[in-house]
Amino acid sequence: MRTARFLTLGAALRYRGGTQMWAWALHRLTGLGVLAFLILHVVDTALVIYRPDLYDAMLATYRHPIFRVGEYLIFLSVLYHAANGLRIVVQDFWTPLMRHRKALLAASTAVVVAAALPIAWVMLGPVLGLREEPGAARHRERCLREPTAPACVAPTAKARTASPETGR
Amino acid sequence: MNGARGARRRGGGYERPVGGWSNFEVWSWFFMRLSGLALILLALYHLVWWNLVVGVEHLDSQLVIERWRNPFWRLFNVALVTFAMLHGLNGARYSIEDYVRRPGARLAVKAIVYTVVLGALAVGVFALLTFDPAVLLQRS
Repeated sequence: MRTARFLTLGAALRYRGGTQMWAWALHRLTGLGVLAFLILHVVDTALVIYRPDLYDAMLATYRHPIFRVGEYLIFLSVLYHAANGLRIVVQDFWTPLMRHRKALLAASTAVVVAAALPIAWVMLGPVLGLREEPGAARHRERCLREPTAPACVAPTAKARTASPETGR
Repeated sequence: MNGARGARRRGGGYERPVGGWSNFEVWSWFFMRLSGLALILLALYHLVWWNLVVGVEHLDSQLVIERWRNPFWRLFNVALVTFAMLHGLNGARYSIEDYVRRPGARLAVKAIVYTVVLGALAVGVFALLTFDPAVLLQRS
């Protein structure tokens, strides 16, 4: 067991540990991916208190579809890491449940798979023009109240169609 | 140093490291589980709110400033960023100790990763704690 913690990447890929091993590998991969995103996300959000104008300029870049897909993948990664992590915590603190580890893994995976499509619909549907942006109604109301808010005068075509009342 | 970590368990997770509370790996093992549970609530709420309720397309500096005017949300964010960064840093440490084997290289990679992650955490917490909405709304 102890030597299994010291595998090289190549040996790890050849090691056939089955679904439980893939769950572990995906836990690592999503964890490292989310950490990389988190570093960027925290530093660029901190910009808000020093240079709100730069923050808004940066958000304009993030409106590109490639970032929207990236944000969806981050959401799924966190969801997987949460579901699989909860499974591990449950197994670690109630060890008799280890007998049902296959069923627990199936359940935690099922949660992620079941959530993946509806979340894609809400987050990526608008990118494909299939539905309104989430929160569009609340945004229109806000733009009536504060028509000069940066998100209400955004230069993107989508922002214009999202707030027809303001005439922008 | 990493020899004290618990053995990997068939079916996920690691055995609780042997030893008492003087063993750092015992703290690490508990911290990952407790911060993980807290993060399920904090991070998932954060993701659902900004991605599914507000919508990233509608985000701007004023919305963030408006949110941060409330001390509760600044505190919420301090908790979220602190738990997330420390949980992530400890997870990265597991991976470094598993995959970077040469002592010199391991030290170098750890030095870089610790500096970047703790630096980002410091920037984030500093921004949240020194936030002054009165100054900001004029500037934006």
